Amino acid sequence: MAENVPSASTPTVYEARGLKKEFDGGKVAALRGVDLDVREGEFVAITGPSGCGKSTLLQLLGSLALPSEGTLNFRGRSIPDMPDPAHYRSHDIGFVFQAFHLLPTFTVLENVQIPMFEGGLTKAQRKDRAVELLESVGLGHRLTHFPSELSGGERQRVAIARGLANGPSVVLADEPTGNLDSANAEQILELLLKLHRDRKVTLVLVTHDLGIAGLATRTIRMKDGRVVSETSSSTPSLANHP
Amino acid sequence: MTFFTIVTRGLMRRPVRTGLTLAGISIGIAAVVALVGMAWGYEKSIGKQLDVIGIDMIVSNMTGGIMPKTFDASVEDKIAQLPKIKETTSLLMQLISVEDAPMIMVSGRKWGGFTWHQLKVVEGRMIKDEHEPAVVLGRLAAEVLKKKVGDTVQLDSDELNVVGIVDGGSVVENGAIILSLAVMQKVTLNEGKVNFIDIRLQPGTDKDAVTETAAEIKKIFPEGRAVKASEVVGTSQGFRVARAMSWSTSILAITVGILGVMNTMLMTVFERTHEIGILLAVGWRRQRVMLMVLCESALLGLLGGILGVILGAAGLMIMETTPAIKGLLEPDLSPRLLIISVIIAVVVGLISGLYPAWRSSRLSPAVAIQS
Ligand SMILES: Nc1ncnc2c1ncn2[C@@H]1O[C@H](COP(=O)(O)OP(=O)(O)OP(=O)(O)O)[C@@H](O)[C@H]1O
Ligand SMILES: [Mg+2]
Repeated sequence: MAENVPSASTPTVYEARGLKKEFDGGKVAALRGVDLDVREGEFVAITGPSGCGKSTLLQLLGSLALPSEGTLNFRGRSIPDMPDPAHYRSHDIGFVFQAFHLLPTFTVLENVQIPMFEGGLTKAQRKDRAVELLESVGLGHRLTHFPSELSGGERQRVAIARGLANGPSVVLADEPTGNLDSANAEQILELLLKLHRDRKVTLVLVTHDLGIAGLATRTIRMKDGRVVSETSSSTPSLANHP
Repeated sequence: MTFFTIVTRGLMRRPVRTGLTLAGISIGIAAVVALVGMAWGYEKSIGKQLDVIGIDMIVSNMTGGIMPKTFDASVEDKIAQLPKIKETTSLLMQLISVEDAPMIMVSGRKWGGFTWHQLKVVEGRMIKDEHEPAVVLGRLAAEVLKKKVGDTVQLDSDELNVVGIVDGGSVVENGAIILSLAVMQKVTLNEGKVNFIDIRLQPGTDKDAVTETAAEIKKIFPEGRAVKASEVVGTSQGFRVARAMSWSTSILAITVGILGVMNTMLMTVFERTHEIGILLAVGWRRQRVMLMVLCESALLGLLGGILGVILGAAGLMIMETTPAIKGLLEPDLSPRLLIISVIIAVVVGLISGLYPAWRSSRLSPAVAIQS
């Protein structure tokens, strides 16, 4: 289990210092100076009350928005200064949203292929890979369905498969189970944990659910745009989880 | 799934709007095809006529309305003296409304001139002599006027007998009412006047000699102008007006097309802000998003162009059979015109997509995905 419990000597994936994010020309301060380290292979849970800046932080990690101030590095490279942020988004990370964000006019199989257009695969390779990914999330039988024909849990599994399209080493998930009932939520969580465990994917997960947070290697609590506490799990989460 | 699938899926999202936009572009392109096809057809028809008759140069007073002003018939004799000139003949031509036909060419030709030679009688007979108060009709003119041999046509206040129907080997000739110059002068109260002198040059006359001859003609007849047959179309006032009108109307139609496609693409981009946010969030480069929008608008242009060319060609074919046009010109439906029109449509699509594409690629993924 030791390899699943990163220590201070494990290289960092993310390193944030004094990270700030303002909206509306400074009227809204969503992040007010966040320091954060995420190490290779960690499962970090981020919790905190609504509006404390969890989603904002995750968007900055995912290069979906730019910080107003502070430094933010991914494996030693500054995220805001990346010359090719699209490549980072498509290859280094997989982003999973609470609202799934699938493209409604594309089938399940097509949705999963969308990020692969940045990957230099042939048409056949894209399709094979998408089928494989969908089978791995248990949706091999729904390939030609449209998102509207799927349940919430199924949609989120498609979104996870899409996030894994180009084999990222990091998954950023913003309340991935927030729109799901408990049975579906359980399934999605299993899937993410399995990725973390089997593929050594670094997982940063925003959640309101303290039960889920308890499974993480580390839990970060935020409030009013700041990190207020950090707890390392004494009992390595994954050992407890089936 | 290929990139092209994504592009077509974008257009199919809103089939009604895509259809309306296509209708808009295709009507614009159809207008271009019809108008330019007429203008080019007009030019080609005239060129063919001059060719069939074997005219090398034409002298006329280029000022005036659609038809040049008349001048004294004696000018011809002076021009005929010039060294390089083999043969001349003169004409008095008018484009007038005759009975039910809105516009028809009436061509009074000097008796014995070479402009009579290529006319083949297909029905009835040729005019007997210079003074017979009779006309022959080109085949199309006979159709347009609904006249047979033995009928009469009303020219100004005179009634002239239709003695024959002729084939002149070109649309312009076949669309004309042909009579002797003397009768034409009398009927139109233009005694001693003509408005064209047609010239055949000595065989082997080179370009310089043609230019020289034109200069000498200018000395003899300062108000007039001698033009090589191949340049008639470019220099005539009427042609220039027709050309300018067809292109300016076309530009208007194209502008309307651009605005239509731009509007559609802007709406598409606004409406799809969320989806574009998703594309950016899952790692599409901005250039790829731009390319997608541009390809969509170019595809709209291409489809609209193809539809428009079909519509325009059909329109031209219908117009070709209407009395107003029949006999005056043979619309030009050359592949060149059709290809140019489709290219214009694609360019229209591309231009219209530029701004929407640029806009869409500037979105921040986080903001776009929340919309
Ligand atoms: N695009 C935006 N424009 C203006 N304010 C914003 C924007 N995005 C977020 N905010 C504000 O920033 C603050 C943090 O928002 P954020 O979405 O990060 O909170 P959160 O912790 O994810 O909340 P929740 O648990 O409800 O999802 C909130 O006050 C929110 O209103
Ligand atoms: Mg949130």
